Amino acid sequence: MSFQVLIIPEDPTYNGYILKPIVERMLAELGKPNAHVVILTNPKTHGYAHAVSAIRGDLIERYGHFPLWLFLPDGDPASNLGWLESELSGRGVHLFCCAAQPEVEAWLLAGHRDDLPIPWADVRQHRRLKEDVFEPFLKQFGDGGASGGRKRLTCETLAKYRGLLSVCPELAELEERLRVFLAQGA
Amino acid sequence: MIEQITIKNFKSFKDVTLKLGPLNIFIGTNASGKSNFFDALRVLQGIGYGFTLSEILDGKPKSATSEVWEGIRGGSVGAAFAFDDADKPTVFEVTGRLPDQHNTGFEFTIAFSAQEGHFREERMSVSGKLIYDRARAPNDKWSREFFVRFSDKDSGGMFSVDQDRPTWTQMLRRGDPRSMGGRAERIEQVTRILADMQRIDPSPALLHAYSQAYEIKRMGEHGENFAALIRMICKDPETKEAYLSWLRELRPRDVDDVGTVSGAIGEPLLMMRERNHEWLAPSLSDGTLRFAALAAAFFQPDMPRVLTIEEIENGIHASRLRLLVELMRSQTAAGKTQAMVTTHSPVVLAWLKPEEYATTFYCKRDEETGESRIVPLSEIPRLQEIVSKQPISDLFAEGWLEEAL
Repeated sequence: MSFQVLIIPEDPTYNGYILKPIVERMLAELGKPNAHVVILTNPKTHGYAHAVSAIRGDLIERYGHFPLWLFLPDGDPASNLGWLESELSGRGVHLFCCAAQPEVEAWLLAGHRDDLPIPWADVRQHRRLKEDVFEPFLKQFGDGGASGGRKRLTCETLAKYRGLLSVCPELAELEERLRVFLAQGA
Repeated sequence: MIEQITIKNFKSFKDVTLKLGPLNIFIGTNASGKSNFFDALRVLQGIGYGFTLSEILDGKPKSATSEVWEGIRGGSVGAAFAFDDADKPTVFEVTGRLPDQHNTGFEFTIAFSAQEGHFREERMSVSGKLIYDRARAPNDKWSREFFVRFSDKDSGGMFSVDQDRPTWTQMLRRGDPRSMGGRAERIEQVTRILADMQRIDPSPALLHAYSQAYEIKRMGEHGENFAALIRMICKDPETKEAYLSWLRELRPRDVDDVGTVSGAIGEPLLMMRERNHEWLAPSLSDGTLRFAALAAAFFQPDMPRVLTIEEIENGIHASRLRLLVELMRSQTAAGKTQAMVTTHSPVVLAWLKPEEYATTFYCKRDEETGESRIVPLSEIPRLQEIVSKQPISDLFAEGWLEEAL
């Protein structure tokens, strides 16, 4: 049986194309190359508050048997989610939260820094990254295929996996936490 | 692109106006009017082809120069608004933009009597300038003499035209000097938009089979020559890769390649390769083939201006319907075509964005008058507020939307 992982995004419409390849690669690096990674689509989360509400609600009835949940929201409102992890732990769910700085799209852009109009340090602090930086980037480098090119561009970023972790330390921290979790025999 | 359609006195529509966008989705219970709207589009298409009214409404057999044209459901007998004076003309008003450099606006109005089998009035203007205006003959509805003007300042004149065929096509055929020149080009541009609609309803039986054509740029309504279209799509590596990416999202195991194999005389058959195993069309599931055909419709080298698909969810697993929504959204947003789609699936609705509710239409039939209404979801009272708390798929499935209208 594959190791099952549930990813809870803020919005699954397009974030799934970025998050799934990253988590699959991370798990492969940690010795789980055949992990079964599922993006939560029911409920179809819309925003941070709705996602948190779903996690705290009856999601456990359908996905409580998954040994690992990952909540991967955009950064701003999600700076410290230790309380949520503790709450779910009390209900028997292993939940790890990792907030993208400043938004999930930054993880895709990390492998394409040379093609961005602003320095990486500015990307990490941008307040409208999706609208002002990511969408023009996708228009230029995306394609007419499924995901608009998000999946392909994320896979290109993952060709330099260690580089991704070095410029997005929150992902490096998540990997370390998963390493410890898996070493404990999950 | 067609931006607005008004339909008066046609089937279950007494008077409806729709503002359309690139992606238009129609929902509603059975017999609510969705298919009647699609019949209206078919009438417009027949007008764009220049067919006679009886051909448009009742059908036209295959001839040396044209394929079979299926009439609308119910034919000319059922075409007029059923709950009012049958003598009132059916009227279609269409506004939109031409695919030229300036996206020039156009307006086209046509009125007919299905009972008489005659067109009554017709008017076309482009960029606010009158192209032609054919009024009804005074006092004699059987007259062949009609008053036609070619500009707002023109005093006009009487022309002899067949009443059962759109005037525009008779003017072009006759080559009347007053109607030609710049007008002829404009008339052709506008009517081309009406005519260039493609209905897609893929039949698995056809998709499983060899194509009769070697290569084609547009497949048939039921998927005729689907494999020949795939062969054409695969000739351009960039288009092939984009098409393949949608198939990869559909199948649980990665699709490595898509293409065709050839039969005894070179006729193509669809092939998908997964991990060095070639799956040929006869062994692929109906659902996979239907998705493959719907996706291929959005990558046709000869794209129609309007693509119509009824009950798009048929044969597709619920967890993959998201792909169809994303496919339609991305391809229509890119300006490749304008889609008109019906669905009964709450899942399709769940994957729409709130900003798409302006062109997601709820069709409802009034039980007392029999009249159909078509209302964009964005105009349903309190919907925006409620969908922030309740999934719209639940509201649809439980019938809340119908009650809210």
